[in-house]
Amino acid sequence: MHKLVERLKGFSWQQWSVVAAFLLVSAFTGLHAFRAVRNAAYWSHHRDEPIRAWMNVGYVAHSYHVPPPVLYEALGMERLPHDKRPIRVIAREQHRSVNEVIAILQEAIVRARQPGAPPPPPPGPPGPPNQGRAP
Amino acid sequence: MSITDQLLAALLVYGLWLLFAVIAIASIGVPFPVTLMLVVAGSFVEQGEMKLWEVIAVASGAAVLGDQIGYGLARWRGRKVALAVARKFGESGIAKAEEFTRRWGGAGIFLSRWLVTWLGPWLNVTSGMARYPWRRFLFWDVLGEVLWVALYVMLGKIFSDRVQELMDLLGNLGWVNLGVFVAAVLGWKTVQYLRSQRSVVS
Repeated sequence: MHKLVERLKGFSWQQWSVVAAFLLVSAFTGLHAFRAVRNAAYWSHHRDEPIRAWMNVGYVAHSYHVPPPVLYEALGMERLPHDKRPIRVIAREQHRSVNEVIAILQEAIVRARQPGAPPPPPPGPPGPPNQGRAP
Repeated sequence: MSITDQLLAALLVYGLWLLFAVIAIASIGVPFPVTLMLVVAGSFVEQGEMKLWEVIAVASGAAVLGDQIGYGLARWRGRKVALAVARKFGESGIAKAEEFTRRWGGAGIFLSRWLVTWLGPWLNVTSGMARYPWRRFLFWDVLGEVLWVALYVMLGKIFSDRVQELMDLLGNLGWVNLGVFVAAVLGWKTVQYLRSQRSVVS
């Protein structure tokens, strides 16, 4: 230990900057490793993920395992074939904030998951076979 | 919305065209979150909105095209430009980069396509500058990029209903990946300094 301190004392400022960078990068790496482990642990215990503005109704329905028509109905939207509009665009079209749209979807999901929830509304006008499965 | 969220939202609307453009540009060296886009594309494959072979072909093709542009430009003009820059900042950097490419060759190109992906654009340039044989570069490039695309698309397909959480996890692992590499280089430098001081102290 004493020898190590003696050697460190002889370092130039450039060498000290490399040591400091090493310590900083190690701490940064450790922090992200910890976050990765924590995320993985959280992931294994929780079923639902947060709804984000980039998602669309089809993906939210897929992620939360609820029928897409329930979510379209909650937003007062007609199900269009291959509807790919993300929540951000829907919010703009409906003159709502993204958070408001997310809140409506979350409420609809809670209702759809309640025991004895009514069946999803009937599908809209005939369309391609995968109508309503928009991502 | 972050740039990642905007790109993902655009991916929903524009599909494979956007995937191709963004991956090709990223492979030249612009830091776009393309790994995350592959994961989302994998989820769309699972939902039946995209075809698996189309996603793999388009994404791999885009990545290889971007890599070839980086390699080609560096082979064509890279050395001249690098030498002009090096005259101001010292020429040892170029020699080291070329030595690195010669030493690691195919393994370096292959691993930088899918494991240490942030090194990829840099290795394209050094491979071009060092005039690494184009056919060999192409071989390792195609092999690595197809593996990279298939890996993340399949991850997205398997965890298709948990894409956001998977992306958060991969985001942190990406920083860990970069941090381990940089810490290893800096740690090695520190050990070298300590060794040189040992001879001075004793």
